[in-house]
Amino acid sequence: MSDKLKSIISKQNEQQNRGVVSQLEDAVQLVGFIIGDEEYSVPILNIQEIIKPISWTRVPQTPPYVLGVFNLRGSVIPLIDLRLKFGLQSKKHTDETRFIVMKDGNEVAGFVIDRLTEALRIRKSDIGPAPDTMQEDESMIDGVGKQSDRIITILKVNKLLERDF
Amino acid sequence: MDEFQEILQDFLIESFELLEQLDQDLVELETNPQDLELLNRIFRVAHTVKGASSFLNFDVLTHLTHHMEDILNKARHGDLVLTPDVMDVVLESIDLMKELLNTIRDTGVDAGVDVSACVMKLDAKSNGTAMPTDVSMNEVEVEPEMVEEDEEEEEIAASSSDEPNYESMSDAEVEAEIERLLAQRQEEDQRKRKAKQAAGEVVPHIPDVQEEEVPKAAPVSSANVVVAKQPQPMPKKSFDEPSEDAKAAAPAKANATAVEQTIRVDVKRLDHLMNLIGELVLAKNRLIKINVDVEERYEGEEFLEELNQVVSIVSLVTTDLQIAVMKTRMLPIGKVFNKFPRMIRDLSRELNKKIDLEIYGEETELDKSIVEEIGDPLVHIIRNSCDHGIEAIADRIAQGKSETGRIVLKAYNEGNHIVVQIDDDGKGLDPVMLKNKSLEKGVITEKEADSMTDKEAYALIFRPGFSTAAQVTSVSGRGVGMDVVKTNIEKLNGIIDIDSEVGRGTSIKLKIPLTLAIIQALLVGVQEEYYAIPLASVLETVRISKDEIYTVDNRSVMRLRNDVLSLVHIGDIFEVERIIDAAEHAYVVVLGLAESKLGLIVDSLVGQEEIVIKSLGEYLKGMEGIAGATIRGDGGVTLIVDVAALMQMAKGVKAKPMIESKATSGVKEKNKASDYHVMIVDDSKTDRIIMRKSLEGLGITLTEAADGQEALNILKQGDATFDAMLIDIEMPRMDGYTLANEIKKYNKYKNLPLIAVTSRSSKSDRMRGVESGMVEYITKPYSSDYLASVVQRNIKFKAELA
Repeated sequence: MSDKLKSIISKQNEQQNRGVVSQLEDAVQLVGFIIGDEEYSVPILNIQEIIKPISWTRVPQTPPYVLGVFNLRGSVIPLIDLRLKFGLQSKKHTDETRFIVMKDGNEVAGFVIDRLTEALRIRKSDIGPAPDTMQEDESMIDGVGKQSDRIITILKVNKLLERDF
Repeated sequence: MDEFQEILQDFLIESFELLEQLDQDLVELETNPQDLELLNRIFRVAHTVKGASSFLNFDVLTHLTHHMEDILNKARHGDLVLTPDVMDVVLESIDLMKELLNTIRDTGVDAGVDVSACVMKLDAKSNGTAMPTDVSMNEVEVEPEMVEEDEEEEEIAASSSDEPNYESMSDAEVEAEIERLLAQRQEEDQRKRKAKQAAGEVVPHIPDVQEEEVPKAAPVSSANVVVAKQPQPMPKKSFDEPSEDAKAAAPAKANATAVEQTIRVDVKRLDHLMNLIGELVLAKNRLIKINVDVEERYEGEEFLEELNQVVSIVSLVTTDLQIAVMKTRMLPIGKVFNKFPRMIRDLSRELNKKIDLEIYGEETELDKSIVEEIGDPLVHIIRNSCDHGIEAIADRIAQGKSETGRIVLKAYNEGNHIVVQIDDDGKGLDPVMLKNKSLEKGVITEKEADSMTDKEAYALIFRPGFSTAAQVTSVSGRGVGMDVVKTNIEKLNGIIDIDSEVGRGTSIKLKIPLTLAIIQALLVGVQEEYYAIPLASVLETVRISKDEIYTVDNRSVMRLRNDVLSLVHIGDIFEVERIIDAAEHAYVVVLGLAESKLGLIVDSLVGQEEIVIKSLGEYLKGMEGIAGATIRGDGGVTLIVDVAALMQMAKGVKAKPMIESKATSGVKEKNKASDYHVMIVDDSKTDRIIMRKSLEGLGITLTEAADGQEALNILKQGDATFDAMLIDIEMPRMDGYTLANEIKKYNKYKNLPLIAVTSRSSKSDRMRGVESGMVEYITKPYSSDYLASVVQRNIKFKAELA
């Protein structure tokens, strides 16, 4: 009896596990946000946290898109304005402005974005490559996610965190 | 495998520790070849390393140490006189041993180092000088394995005295005898240990008690006559006895070898602890700031007293804790000094000079990271002193100096710094010669040479590419060494001071901060920004009026007592927008680093604060002029100035007229009503609408903010210049008084009219309003005409534009 029970349980577990694995395998979880008129996203696992704007300190001799550094509970973290980085005009911070703190390995930085949209799950099969015109290595774009009503640009976090000055 | 790694780790740590002591002992031994205590100690090192390495299968190392042991053993028995020539070989073999140990540490095997040449030399010395006696031959044969050897030694030792003849015993009997002797010895040992403990001494752990047996294998003619008189093996005794023979040196030595009670802790753990303390210091700073704010606000309240006490206890304990943890990271500078006697010995032989090294203050303690950094600079300075400083023997005699040159190395504390001073009695530095050399090599220009003081000329030796040596020797003359000194000392935020007198000698002082992680800093302000300057690099601060600043060669300078100090404005270096520069006076922070000085002009001096250095992270690493950041009491980030880089950057900055921006920052002409811009700060939407309605009629531009914080952010963004602000007092997040205070901190808003609009109408409220910088005080309710007129008056509204 108990053997039977065990085998049933283990079978169920197996099924469950397989389900999880397959889910993990063919979908990516992303967090979407707006900069200017476009919607971008980064993998949720690269996001340490999202906070409301706080004050920062300017760091001299940096390009304009590096706003400076801010204090995140005792750590000093660089702050980068993605509007400026993407060649848009800077904009006054609003109620919807957020700092997304992204990490890749040991590198951490905060990014200013105009507004958050949502956390979403996109099947890998729905992600297309970045447009051909972009140089593969240079591009900050990892791919383009297709949703039923729109397309979302997926950014390379390691590229965003790379110092390019 | 893990276990093996662990053993290997311990072996390496132990070996390196032994070696550190070894170098010093060997040099001392050369001057005092009769010191048996020293010889024994050196022999023991070779022996311990041999034993352990054979156990760990490091054959090359075993081979080498085995031969070292041979030669040392002979010296111990008096069969070999330790001449400098012999010492050279021994020292060479020790260098090889170090090399081997390093290889083992890095690769885990002892291959790749050729020891055969050295081993041959060792053998030649050991055989050439002394005819091998029976006993020493015997010893060499029985030594391949340590345990065996010891047992056999014991037999030999025993047989050399009046004990029963073991040769005639059966194996079992021998075993039994050994057991008996061991038990006896252990008992004796224990008894001694207890006696010592009772006397309150720390008993050193003697790992190889058996070794002490070896002297007993010596022929009776050797120094260890005492042993022969003792029928029972008494290792402890024989350890003590020879030291009595070695008269003078002995008592001091015994103290030096007493093992301190210590535990070994991974440096990472200490670093982590230091980080945590750093956080605590930041929290403490914050607490102090809050305490001050609370005091201001609730003056005279009873609980303040209590709060004050708690804050001061917390800050006191934090400081003590910080010092205590800092101390755990401290190492005596003797760790570095230890290698110099050997170095001086080698150098003096190589250069054919006679040099004495005197060391003082080796117990002075320094942070571990600094101890590691300071070694190289000292090596270069001392080499320099030996090579260029101390003259050849003939020259010295000709000048009436004693033929032995003297180098004094000392370390001592001075405030928050440690000073390492290197003095020699050599030929000293000749400023004229230095200048000529530098001119020749194109290090400086003719003009620079003319205006140079002696001190500045001495500093020339730190320029890269400078060398006074006519010839490049193996010791120095490549012109990089002193540059290394400068770079390393600068890295430690240290200061170099040189003094010299031709014919009398040179004295170089290195002044280094005690620790690197938490430092004292001077906070300075420029416009709305603050920067922290490590106090270690600040020599003094002076307040000057603007007409004391002169321009020479397109660079700002000032006269400071008898020197001319070049000046640079911090704003020019850090690209700070200078909007208002109206003040008559400026503050100059005089920075000193290594051998150079610079005056840094700042707008204000904020004060001295203890700061914790945090890195700016990968992304902003290595920004020029910025050494890191710290978090201030208010939670904001303040950048720490990298004084060394700043001095470099200052060279590229041209003088700018101090008062230049006045005109551009002047008020723009108002041509229409909407050029006037007023901000309304009120948390109540209704109130904001009422104000807007009252002012709309004027046609001026209005911006709204719901609380102090938001208003401040709008101001900071600086997208618009405001002509006045209407401020409510009661607001969430940041109230009106605080907002006014914050606004007044900004130079450019010093003259911005702030109008309080509030229902608080008591006299004390009005007083607070005035104190925080409000110019008008309107109480709710008010008529809209009244509000409009107050605003018009304050923004100097031209009625015709309406």
